[in-house]
Amino acid sequence: MRDVVRDPAALERLRVQRGRLADRMRPPWWYLTGSAILWAVLFAGPFILQYLLHGVPTWPSLVLTAAMLCLLRLMPWGLARATGIAVRLRNLRYRLGLSALIAMIVVFFAASQTETILIRHGLLAAAIVVAALAVAAQVALLQARLRGIRQELRDGGGAA
Amino acid sequence: MTARPDPFIHPITRLSICGLLAAGADWVEFAALRDAAGISDSVLSKQSVVLEDAGYVQVRKGAVGRRPRTWFRLTAQGRQALEGHLAWLVQMEEAVSASSPQMTANSVNGRTAPRTVPSPD
Repeated sequence: MRDVVRDPAALERLRVQRGRLADRMRPPWWYLTGSAILWAVLFAGPFILQYLLHGVPTWPSLVLTAAMLCLLRLMPWGLARATGIAVRLRNLRYRLGLSALIAMIVVFFAASQTETILIRHGLLAAAIVVAALAVAAQVALLQARLRGIRQELRDGGGAA
Repeated sequence: MTARPDPFIHPITRLSICGLLAAGADWVEFAALRDAAGISDSVLSKQSVVLEDAGYVQVRKGAVGRRPRTWFRLTAQGRQALEGHLAWLVQMEEAVSASSPQMTANSVNGRTAPRTVPSPD
Protein backbone atom coordinates (compact mmCIF):
# COMPACT_ATOMS: atom_id res chain seq x y z
CA MET A 1 0.00 0.00 0.00
CA ARG A 2 1.29 3.43 -0.91
CA ASP A 3 2.35 5.79 1.77
CA VAL A 4 1.09 9.35 2.02
CA VAL A 5 4.44 10.82 3.05
CA ARG A 6 5.97 9.43 -0.14
CA ASP A 7 3.19 10.99 -2.15
CA PRO A 8 3.09 14.79 -1.77
CA ALA A 9 0.05 14.94 -4.04
CA ALA A 10 -2.06 12.99 -1.54
CA LEU A 11 -3.84 16.03 -0.14
CA GLU A 12 -4.37 17.39 -3.64
CA ARG A 13 -5.82 14.00 -4.66
CA LEU A 14 -8.15 14.16 -1.67
CA ARG A 15 -9.38 17.55 -2.88
CA VAL A 16 -10.09 16.10 -6.34
CA GLN A 17 -11.95 13.16 -4.76
CA ARG A 18 -14.06 15.56 -2.69
CA GLY A 19 -14.88 17.45 -5.87
CA ARG A 20 -16.12 14.19 -7.42
CA LEU A 21 -18.23 13.48 -4.34
CA ALA A 22 -19.69 17.01 -4.40
CA ASP A 23 -20.59 16.67 -8.08
CA ARG A 24 -22.87 13.74 -7.21
CA MET A 25 -24.91 16.00 -4.95
CA ARG A 26 -27.10 17.31 -7.77
CA PRO A 27 -30.84 17.01 -7.24
CA PRO A 28 -32.80 15.05 -9.86
CA TRP A 29 -35.69 16.81 -11.66
CA TRP A 30 -38.33 15.09 -9.55
CA TYR A 31 -36.78 16.44 -6.36
CA LEU A 32 -37.21 20.05 -7.42
CA THR A 33 -40.67 19.28 -8.86
CA GLY A 34 -41.74 17.60 -5.62
CA SER A 35 -40.42 20.57 -3.63
CA ALA A 36 -42.37 22.97 -5.83
CA ILE A 37 -45.57 20.93 -5.27
CA LEU A 38 -44.99 20.88 -1.51
CA TRP A 39 -44.46 24.63 -1.36
CA ALA A 40 -47.44 25.24 -3.65
CA VAL A 41 -49.69 23.27 -1.28
CA LEU A 42 -48.26 25.14 1.71
CA PHE A 43 -48.82 28.53 0.10
CA ALA A 44 -52.32 27.44 -0.90
CA GLY A 45 -53.08 27.14 2.83
CA PRO A 46 -54.51 30.66 3.26
CA PHE A 47 -56.79 30.15 0.21
CA ILE A 48 -57.96 26.76 1.48
CA LEU A 49 -58.70 28.20 4.93
CA GLN A 50 -60.61 31.14 3.48
CA TYR A 51 -62.61 29.57 0.66
CA LEU A 52 -62.66 25.77 0.76
CA LEU A 53 -63.04 24.61 4.33
CA HIS A 54 -66.46 26.17 4.98
CA GLY A 55 -68.97 23.30 5.08
CA VAL A 56 -66.49 20.77 3.73
CA PRO A 57 -65.83 17.58 5.75
CA THR A 58 -62.49 17.43 7.56
CA TRP A 59 -61.19 14.19 6.04
CA PRO A 60 -60.05 15.56 2.63
CA SER A 61 -57.76 18.05 4.34
CA LEU A 62 -56.47 15.29 6.63
CA VAL A 63 -55.75 13.06 3.61
CA LEU A 64 -53.97 15.97 1.88
CA THR A 65 -51.91 16.68 5.01
CA ALA A 66 -50.95 13.00 5.33
CA ALA A 67 -49.96 12.87 1.64
CA MET A 68 -47.82 15.99 2.05
CA LEU A 69 -46.13 14.59 5.15
CA CYS A 70 -45.35 11.34 3.30
CA LEU A 71 -43.89 13.34 0.39
CA LEU A 72 -41.88 15.44 2.84
CA ARG A 73 -40.46 12.24 4.36
CA LEU A 74 -39.85 10.45 1.06
CA MET A 75 -38.04 13.24 -0.74
CA PRO A 76 -34.82 13.35 1.34
CA TRP A 77 -34.79 9.55 1.27
CA GLY A 78 -35.12 9.56 -2.51
CA LEU A 79 -32.44 12.24 -2.85
CA ALA A 80 -30.04 10.15 -0.74
CA ARG A 81 -30.80 7.09 -2.90
CA ALA A 82 -30.28 9.01 -6.12
CA THR A 83 -27.05 10.74 -5.12
CA GLY A 84 -25.56 8.20 -2.69
CA ILE A 85 -25.07 11.02 -0.17
CA ALA A 86 -27.37 11.45 2.79
CA VAL A 87 -27.55 14.96 4.16
CA ARG A 88 -30.11 16.43 6.47
CA LEU A 89 -31.17 19.68 4.84
CA ARG A 90 -31.93 21.21 8.22
CA ASN A 91 -28.43 20.28 9.37
CA LEU A 92 -26.77 23.49 10.54
CA ARG A 93 -23.30 22.06 9.89
CA TYR A 94 -23.39 23.41 6.35
CA ARG A 95 -22.47 27.05 6.92
CA LEU A 96 -22.62 27.97 3.24
CA GLY A 97 -26.22 26.79 2.95
CA LEU A 98 -27.36 28.33 6.23
CA SER A 99 -28.15 31.77 4.75
CA ALA A 100 -30.39 30.10 2.15
CA LEU A 101 -32.17 28.15 4.91
CA ILE A 102 -32.79 31.35 6.90
CA ALA A 103 -34.05 33.07 3.74
CA MET A 104 -36.46 30.13 3.12
CA ILE A 105 -37.95 30.53 6.60
CA VAL A 106 -38.27 34.33 6.18
CA VAL A 107 -39.90 33.96 2.73
CA PHE A 108 -42.34 31.37 4.08
CA PHE A 109 -43.63 33.54 6.93
CA ALA A 110 -43.59 36.79 4.92
CA ALA A 111 -45.45 35.29 1.96
CA SER A 112 -48.03 33.50 4.16
CA GLN A 113 -48.80 36.70 6.06
CA THR A 114 -48.97 38.79 2.88
CA GLU A 115 -51.34 36.28 1.28
CA THR A 116 -53.62 36.29 4.33
CA ILE A 117 -53.76 40.10 4.39
CA LEU A 118 -54.44 40.34 0.64
CA ILE A 119 -57.19 37.69 0.82
CA ARG A 120 -58.86 39.53 3.75
CA HIS A 121 -58.89 42.71 1.64
CA GLY A 122 -60.39 40.82 -1.30
CA LEU A 123 -57.27 41.11 -3.48
CA LEU A 124 -57.37 37.50 -4.67
CA ALA A 125 -55.32 37.98 -7.87
CA ALA A 126 -52.55 39.73 -5.96
CA ALA A 127 -52.54 36.91 -3.37
CA ILE A 128 -52.20 34.31 -6.15
CA VAL A 129 -49.26 36.25 -7.64
CA VAL A 130 -47.58 36.42 -4.22
CA ALA A 131 -48.07 32.64 -3.75
CA ALA A 132 -46.61 31.87 -7.20
CA LEU A 133 -43.61 34.13 -6.59
CA ALA A 134 -43.08 32.57 -3.15
CA VAL A 135 -43.03 29.04 -4.64
CA ALA A 136 -40.48 30.12 -7.27
CA ALA A 137 -38.37 31.82 -4.57
CA GLN A 138 -38.44 28.73 -2.34
CA VAL A 139 -37.31 26.42 -5.16
CA ALA A 140 -34.51 28.87 -6.06
CA LEU A 141 -33.46 29.04 -2.41
CA LEU A 142 -33.49 25.23 -2.15
CA GLN A 143 -31.14 25.10 -5.14
CA ALA A 144 -28.93 27.72 -3.47
CA ARG A 145 -28.89 25.63 -0.30
CA LEU A 146 -27.86 22.54 -2.25
CA ARG A 147 -25.15 24.58 -3.98
CA GLY A 148 -23.90 25.57 -0.52
CA ILE A 149 -23.83 21.94 0.57
CA ARG A 150 -21.94 20.99 -2.61
CA GLN A 151 -19.39 23.72 -1.91
CA GLU A 152 -19.06 22.50 1.67
CA LEU A 153 -18.45 18.94 0.46
CA ARG A 154 -15.85 20.25 -2.00
CA ASP A 155 -14.11 22.23 0.74
CA GLY A 156 -14.01 19.22 3.03
CA GLY A 157 -16.38 20.42 5.73
CA GLY A 158 -13.54 22.05 7.63
CA ALA A 159 -11.71 18.74 8.02
CA ALA A 160 -8.77 19.81 5.90
CA MET B 1 -6.42 19.22 18.37
CA THR B 2 -3.04 17.45 18.54
CA ALA B 3 -1.13 16.93 15.31
CA ARG B 4 -0.11 13.29 15.36
CA PRO B 5 0.10 10.45 12.85
CA ASP B 6 -2.53 7.78 12.93
CA PRO B 7 -1.47 4.33 11.70
CA PHE B 8 -5.00 3.42 10.65
CA ILE B 9 -5.52 6.52 8.51
CA HIS B 10 -1.98 6.73 7.17
CA PRO B 11 -2.35 4.47 4.08
CA ILE B 12 -3.54 6.60 1.20
CA THR B 13 -6.74 4.62 0.50
CA ARG B 14 -7.91 4.95 4.09
CA LEU B 15 -6.98 8.63 4.09
CA SER B 16 -9.21 9.03 1.02
CA ILE B 17 -12.10 7.14 2.64
CA CYS B 18 -11.91 9.10 5.90
CA GLY B 19 -11.34 12.41 4.09
CA LEU B 20 -14.40 11.88 1.92
CA LEU B 21 -16.57 10.82 4.86
CA ALA B 22 -15.42 13.88 6.82
CA ALA B 23 -16.44 16.24 4.04
CA GLY B 24 -19.83 16.98 5.58
CA ALA B 25 -22.28 14.27 4.51
CA ASP B 26 -24.13 12.36 7.20
CA TRP B 27 -23.90 9.03 5.35
CA VAL B 28 -22.22 8.12 2.06
CA GLU B 29 -23.29 5.12 0.02
CA PHE B 30 -20.80 2.42 -1.03
CA ALA B 31 -20.89 3.20 -4.77
CA ALA B 32 -20.61 6.96 -4.21
CA LEU B 33 -17.60 6.49 -1.96
CA ARG B 34 -15.99 3.98 -4.34
CA ASP B 35 -16.45 6.25 -7.37
CA ALA B 36 -15.27 9.39 -5.58
CA ALA B 37 -12.19 7.65 -4.20
CA GLY B 38 -11.52 5.90 -7.53
CA ILE B 39 -10.99 2.49 -5.94
CA SER B 40 -12.41 -0.97 -6.54
CA ASP B 41 -15.23 -2.68 -4.62
CA SER B 42 -12.85 -5.13 -2.98
CA VAL B 43 -10.40 -2.45 -1.84
CA LEU B 44 -13.19 -0.38 -0.33
CA SER B 45 -14.67 -3.44 1.41
CA LYS B 46 -11.30 -4.45 2.86
CA GLN B 47 -10.27 -0.99 4.02
CA SER B 48 -13.68 -0.13 5.44
CA VAL B 49 -13.54 -3.25 7.63
CA VAL B 50 -10.18 -2.09 9.04
CA LEU B 51 -11.58 1.37 9.74
CA GLU B 52 -14.75 -0.08 11.24
CA ASP B 53 -12.74 -2.34 13.54
CA ALA B 54 -10.70 0.69 14.63
CA GLY B 55 -13.94 2.48 15.52
CA TYR B 56 -13.40 5.21 12.93
CA VAL B 57 -16.21 4.32 10.57
CA GLN B 58 -19.78 3.28 11.22
CA VAL B 59 -21.37 0.94 8.68
CA ARG B 60 -25.08 0.59 8.03
CA LYS B 61 -26.32 -2.18 5.78
CA GLY B 62 -29.69 -2.32 4.13
CA ALA B 63 -31.35 -3.32 0.91
CA VAL B 64 -33.57 -1.71 -1.68
CA GLY B 65 -35.49 -4.58 -3.26
CA ARG B 66 -32.88 -7.23 -3.90
CA ARG B 67 -30.00 -4.79 -4.15
CA PRO B 68 -27.90 -4.53 -1.01
CA ARG B 69 -26.97 -1.01 0.03
CA THR B 70 -24.13 -0.18 2.38
CA TRP B 71 -23.73 3.26 3.93
CA PHE B 72 -20.71 4.68 5.73
CA ARG B 73 -20.31 7.42 8.29
CA LEU B 74 -17.25 8.77 10.07
CA THR B 75 -17.49 8.47 13.85
CA ALA B 76 -16.46 11.25 16.24
CA GLN B 77 -13.36 9.22 17.07
CA GLY B 78 -12.54 8.89 13.37
CA ARG B 79 -13.02 12.61 12.76
CA GLN B 80 -10.71 13.47 15.66
CA ALA B 81 -8.05 11.05 14.41
CA LEU B 82 -8.33 12.37 10.85
CA GLU B 83 -7.98 15.99 11.92
CA GLY B 84 -4.88 15.14 13.97
CA HIS B 85 -3.42 13.15 11.09
CA LEU B 86 -4.06 15.88 8.51
CA ALA B 87 -2.45 18.45 10.81
CA TRP B 88 0.55 16.14 11.16
CA LEU B 89 0.75 15.73 7.37
CA VAL B 90 0.81 19.50 6.90
CA GLN B 91 3.57 19.76 9.52
CA MET B 92 5.53 17.05 7.73
CA GLU B 93 5.23 18.85 4.41
CA GLU B 94 6.43 22.08 6.01
CA ALA B 95 9.30 20.32 7.78
CA VAL B 96 10.42 18.59 4.57
CA SER B 97 10.25 21.89 2.65
CA ALA B 98 12.21 23.75 5.32
CA SER B 99 14.91 21.10 5.84
CA SER B 100 16.19 20.77 2.31
CA PRO B 101 15.10 22.13 -1.06
CA GLN B 102 16.87 19.14 -2.66
CA MET B 103 14.88 16.74 -0.51
CA THR B 104 11.66 18.49 -1.51
CA ALA B 105 12.54 18.14 -5.17
CA ASN B 106 13.25 14.45 -4.71
CA SER B 107 10.12 13.85 -2.65
CA VAL B 108 8.05 15.29 -5.49
CA ASN B 109 9.52 12.52 -7.60
CA GLY B 110 8.53 10.03 -4.91
CA ARG B 111 12.07 8.96 -4.04
CA THR B 112 12.67 10.36 -0.55
CA ALA B 113 10.83 11.26 2.67
CA PRO B 114 11.23 8.15 4.78
CA ARG B 115 8.20 6.27 5.94
CA THR B 116 7.66 7.18 9.56
CA VAL B 117 4.42 5.50 10.43
CA PRO B 118 4.04 1.74 10.35
CA SER B 119 1.01 0.57 8.47
CA PRO B 120 -1.22 -1.88 10.34
CA ASP B 121 -1.76 -3.85 7.10
